[in-house]
Order: sequence, then C-alpha cells, then structure tokens
Amino acid sequence: MSAPAGPPHSTGRRPEATEREPVHRRWAALILVAATAVALGTAMVAIPREHAPLPAVARYALDVSLPKWGLTEPVNEVVYGTRGFDTFGETFLLLAAVMSVVVISRSKEPRRGYFGETLAGEREQRAADPPDRADAVERATRAAERHEEDDDAGQDRPDTPDAVPLGTPAPETTRAMTVVVRTGIRVALPLLAVAGCYLVAEGYSPGGGFPGGAVLLGVLLLTYAGFGRRKVAAVVRPGLLEGIELAGAAAIVVTEVLGLVLKGSVSANWLPLAAPQTILSGGIAQLFSGSELIEVGTGLGIAVFALIGMGHDWSDDR
Amino acid sequence: MIVVNYLAAVALFCTGLSAVLTRRNLIKIVMGLSLMESSTYLFMISLAYRAGSTAPVLLNPPHGQSPQRLAHGNVADPVLQNFCLTAVVIGVAVTAVFLSVVVRIAQHYRTLDAGKVREMRG
Repeated sequence: MSAPAGPPHSTGRRPEATEREPVHRRWAALILVAATAVALGTAMVAIPREHAPLPAVARYALDVSLPKWGLTEPVNEVVYGTRGFDTFGETFLLLAAVMSVVVISRSKEPRRGYFGETLAGEREQRAADPPDRADAVERATRAAERHEEDDDAGQDRPDTPDAVPLGTPAPETTRAMTVVVRTGIRVALPLLAVAGCYLVAEGYSPGGGFPGGAVLLGVLLLTYAGFGRRKVAAVVRPGLLEGIELAGAAAIVVTEVLGLVLKGSVSANWLPLAAPQTILSGGIAQLFSGSELIEVGTGLGIAVFALIGMGHDWSDDR
Repeated sequence: MIVVNYLAAVALFCTGLSAVLTRRNLIKIVMGLSLMESSTYLFMISLAYRAGSTAPVLLNPPHGQSPQRLAHGNVADPVLQNFCLTAVVIGVAVTAVFLSVVVRIAQHYRTLDAGKVREMRG
C-alpha cells in the first residue's frame, strides 16, 4: 500500500514525491510489455489505413440500410439488423455481468437446507476455525457503516448544507447537496431524459438503445447524487429494476425468435417498414432498440446501485 | 497518418498491461484493465476512419446527390463504430463486476494489496 511522503525539503534539490508505490516484477513486466508493443506495433503498421477500400460487410450495410430497413443510419442497421445476432449475444453478456454483480454484492444469507443442514458440523467448524472477536477497528467500522446506511441516524445530519454560514466548514454528511448543485441538476435532468429517449425514438441515431440506456442511467445517478437516496428509493429497488430488466431481455428474445419463426432467420425483420425518419422506421430494429434501452438502462442501474449500496458482510464464515 | 492513432492505441494497451503486471493494488489493476479496454475503442474508431470521408449517415445528402449515391461514396466504416457502441456498454458492466469482486476482497481481507491476499498468492 502507498504511504504519503513527509513534508517537502527546504533544500529544493529534489522534487517532492507525494506518493511512492512499490513496483513489482519490473523486469518480467518490461520484457512482456516490450514484446507486446513490438508485436502489436508491427501488426499496426501492416494493417489497412485510411485509403483502404471499405470491407464488403460495411458496404453491404450501407447498401441495405435504406432499401431493406428504411434506416438513414447505417450504424443502427448494423447494430440491430445485419449483426443483430451479435448484439443479441452481447445483450446477454451484459445480463450475465449484471447478474454477477448482483450475486457478488448480495450479503450472505443463512443456508436454508434440508433438515439441520445449517447446524451440521457447526461444533467442528467452531473448533477448527474460531470466530474472530470484534476489535476496536471493526467496532468503529461497523458503527460508521450503520451511520452511513441509516439516513435517519443521529441528529447531526442535516438535509442539505444550505443552512451552514459561508466560511465555516461544511457538515461531513448531508442527505442532499447544496442548492447550487440541486438547481443545476433540476435544469439538466429533463434535458438529459428527453435526449436519452430521443436517441431511441426517431430511429436514426447510432446505436439507439445502447447510448439511450446509458443516458437514462445518468438521469438516475444525477438524482441520487444531488438529492440523496430518498428521492430515488421509490424507483431504484432491486425487485422493480430486475423485473423490468428481465422484461426487456424477454422482449429481445421474442423479437429475435419471431424473425426465425416468421421469416426463417434470427433477427430478420417481420414488421412492416414505416417511412424513413419516422418513429416506426426500421421495423424490428426500432423494437429491438427500445427493448435494448430498457435492458441497458436498468441493467447498468442495477450494477451501479448494487455496487454503491454494497455493505460489509459481517456474518461469520460457515 | 492514421497509423499514429493505431500506435497510440498500442501505447495505451501497453500502459494498461504494465499497470496490471507491476501493481499490486487491486483498484489499479482494474484501472489497467480498463485502459486496455479503452485502447480497443481508440483502435476500432481509428480503423473505421477513411481519408476525406463523411459520417455513415444517409441523411440530407449534399446538393445533387441521392442517399444511395452517398452509400456508395466515401464514408467511414459503420461496422467498427457498431463494435465500439456495444463494447462501451459491456465494458462498463464488466468493470462493475471487477470492482464488486475487489470490494468483497477488500472487506474480507481488509487490504487491497493483491500480494497480501493469501489465496491469490502463487
């Protein structure tokens, strides 16, 4: 672990080092990094550059974008059309990552096995691995965590720092941020929310649901940062978000599988095409994009809030 | 001169790799992995670039041109831009997995030093 250095020397001969961290396996790393740099650098010099013709798949996407999908945005056509199956796989990679975060961040539950499983071997386990006694550090950490988790703990936590006179130290913790930040967020939030939905609605933005979902996560995070957890508690609940996310995933599965059933290939378009640059242009691309908005927005929301709310698991190892 | 971008991506990748190899602070190792991931975004976007090209958008073609003519003209590669779009979102989720593992390790072993985490020594 790093340690801060002492005060700067008055001689001024050596620059002040603010942090020193030991470097491990210096030579092995140097050799491996140099070898990687040489290998990749050689490859980079040989690959196609800015004057090379476009690959056939890119030209194909540009060709079919308007006539076959009614999309003026070939990137969107690639994401939800030509390479729709790949996006389908990536969606479930995202789902797997979110599930991993949920499983890892969830605190340990008492095992609910069949008859007496929780008690089997408990005596031997205690003999082999006696539980640690809580020391002063642990007691202080537990108290601080309880204080942090409980919004109503103690009388020393004001709602906002607004009442504190200028020039005095601000309170250590408050439920919300200052009036300046809150006003800024109130102005930015509607714009951000509309921008996120607009990215999906018209069907001619690159990626549609992917950036749209990330923007909607930004809306949630800004509200949380500026106004405290109480304002988002009604929406940011595991039961609600996980349900919505799985509904988004189910909608994607249905969209893709119906292509196989009705048109003979996964991610084939089975919806009538509307005129380009309208809200329904793109056929299933728009449906896929909307479902992706739900999937990405809620999936990233679950992952980020699970990480933010990750408490210490104090239960004994059993 | 797009090759400069390619080499910058290699430099970024190697910076991340060296952080992963030489640091023992788990947060810095995750930062190194994120750097390696970012280098692929730079690489793919640079690979999509074509000299003098327009963005792959078939909207409002210049005077006297049709959208189909635009599609056959000099445009940037939309496929690589698609790779980047999805990779960024997946990257965020994967980094969240890394960080949640790091938080659990830190809580369990009360250290972020990979060298001190007994089970990971080897």
